Amino acid sequence: MTTKTLNVAVFVKLEPDFSEGNVSYNADGTLNRAETKSILGPHSAIASNAAFYAKVKYGARVAVGTMGPSIAESALQQAQLLCDADELHLYSDRIFAGADTLATAEVLKAGIHKVEGGNVDIVFSGHRASDGETGQTGPQTAWKLGYTFLGNVIDYDVDLQSRLVRAKRLILLQGFYDVIEEIEAPLPVFISADPSYKAFFNTVSQRLALGKYQKEAKARAENYKQYLKVLNAQQLDVNPKLVGLPGSPTIVYKVERIPKAKASRKAEVVDGTNREQLAKVAARMYEVLEGMVIK
Amino acid sequence: MTSKYQHLYVVIEHEEGKPLPVSLEMLGEARRLMDRFNKKYSSSEKVVAVLLGDGVCSKLCEELIFFGADVVIYADSPQLRYRRNLVDTKVISQIARSRDLVAKFSDTSGFVKPRYMFFGADSIGRHLSSTVLAELESGLASDINKLVIEDLEIKHEHKTKGQTMKYEKTLEMYRPDFSGFLWTTILCLDNRNPAIEREYHPQACSIIPGVFVPIERDASRHGMILDYVPKFDEERDLQVKILDRKIVRSAVDFDSHKAIVSFGKGIKDLPEQNIKLVAELAKEIQAEVGVSLPISKKPFSISQGIDSTYMIPDRVIGTSGRKVAPLLYIAVGISGAMQHIAGMKESGFVVAINPDENSPIKDECDMFIRGRIEDVIPLLLEELRKQRPTIEVKK
Repeated sequence: MTTKTLNVAVFVKLEPDFSEGNVSYNADGTLNRAETKSILGPHSAIASNAAFYAKVKYGARVAVGTMGPSIAESALQQAQLLCDADELHLYSDRIFAGADTLATAEVLKAGIHKVEGGNVDIVFSGHRASDGETGQTGPQTAWKLGYTFLGNVIDYDVDLQSRLVRAKRLILLQGFYDVIEEIEAPLPVFISADPSYKAFFNTVSQRLALGKYQKEAKARAENYKQYLKVLNAQQLDVNPKLVGLPGSPTIVYKVERIPKAKASRKAEVVDGTNREQLAKVAARMYEVLEGMVIK
Repeated sequence: MTSKYQHLYVVIEHEEGKPLPVSLEMLGEARRLMDRFNKKYSSSEKVVAVLLGDGVCSKLCEELIFFGADVVIYADSPQLRYRRNLVDTKVISQIARSRDLVAKFSDTSGFVKPRYMFFGADSIGRHLSSTVLAELESGLASDINKLVIEDLEIKHEHKTKGQTMKYEKTLEMYRPDFSGFLWTTILCLDNRNPAIEREYHPQACSIIPGVFVPIERDASRHGMILDYVPKFDEERDLQVKILDRKIVRSAVDFDSHKAIVSFGKGIKDLPEQNIKLVAELAKEIQAEVGVSLPISKKPFSISQGIDSTYMIPDRVIGTSGRKVAPLLYIAVGISGAMQHIAGMKESGFVVAINPDENSPIKDECDMFIRGRIEDVIPLLLEELRKQRPTIEVKK
């Protein structure tokens, strides 16, 4: 076994909490951001779990990074609890505000250069944020870093000696079928974890390590500020022209309510407490289903 | 001199030579947009299909022309048989920047990059569009379901330094947000503010599968097919190896069921009990169970077994999930956000169970059962059981 340790980093995002009781909607069905709490995004949590797997299995050093105002610290803390991070990085500067995915990727790239002198073997990100939902920031950061991007990863392992990653990817070919691909790529790589990613710890020693690191994670997350570094634009050495609004090719031009489409069907309204009417519904359902048999 | 940015490039996806539906849908929309564009601006810019593959291309190229492309550029190599992000990004970017290719079908005196670029918003296209546009250093909007080309007056703090300026031939890219109720229009604009001056082209987007309609296949259409020989940096570009590739089918099977019962946030009063009712209803009519997108984000805490069986992304119907067309579709507690409707509107007969008659789903169903889920389903189940056909409806 080589003595060189594995360095991994994971990017996370603070997102609105869409769970019942925490999420609040306006009367028109749109999100009430002021009333909605924020949490570590669910896909960020999956990415953190993927990074934790590297810690348990390979003893990797883990860094977690996010871009945002100081409130985003809580995403770092929640991620630390999941992956026992050794360091937390908050990229925070007023000039980062309003960034689109390309300008965000520029900051995240600079962030990686600040982890272990830029010697990061694997970077993890979630599949997409549950608010922005573009899924573009991960692959764009990978490209800027010059890392091989592996998307939709459902499982991975690292051969520390040959410095190769083996991963399984789930690809949905809409209109055809799904494909599970097994691939091999040399480090460094950028992995975006599929929503169905799950870490498995099969051996006794892995399970022992799991318990140890989980305990450590809990203790660390309680004192997360000790592990936290806040970096501004200058400390990150980013070009102000390439970040925030000035560095964003795209703008949001307008936001409007989606106009109500023309009614595409004419509904017959049935009283759901009226047994007779429901008997007719049941009969109609069977007619529809049996229609297929004749075809 | 011609414009630096010309033509609309559409990145085609296919499986062993058969185009994915979204590819033909993108070509259809590209055709309509560019026909209008060329008329409006008295120009002759092209719809250019870009295709990577291994030995399957020539037949497919012709098909792409029948479905609306003016030009097909294909890179044919054993290295391009299956999709690998790194090498694909390199080759597509080479093609996008190639003047030699453009010279074969138009004046290239000023050509730098494509004007517009489309990708599919799916497992492959989402990432590929991201990396290609990172390489081409331009803007990208994801999950688009409406496109308009307009001359716009823009006043923007950064882009125009607060001045009003005219941006010609701007692609308005509309994307529905996560709620399905709001539409955000994204523009990719050059920075004309002298302090940060920079040109951003192509204006690019990924397009939701199942939204746009392909043009009718026209075998009399003519076009140009161009062969591009990709350049690889062996050491760098080809280092990802595909060791194995297995075709799998999801445990959730919408296609072979005649009926689908889906549920949405309307189950919220009694989530656990209502999901059980939905499952029971589905079982009675041998239906598969679907969900709306918000459900996959696990908005309720319920017992683990039900959670992991039903509240999962695999079951999502809509633009973020599957597109289905069963004979019978029952929407339980689903409000009818556009992004859900897009996934089920082709269904044969649609029944909605919902207490709110003002819910948008009412305009998308054939039968609207007004009432609370917990009241309606038990009664409906009784009636279904009474009338259960003697010969079972086979799956």
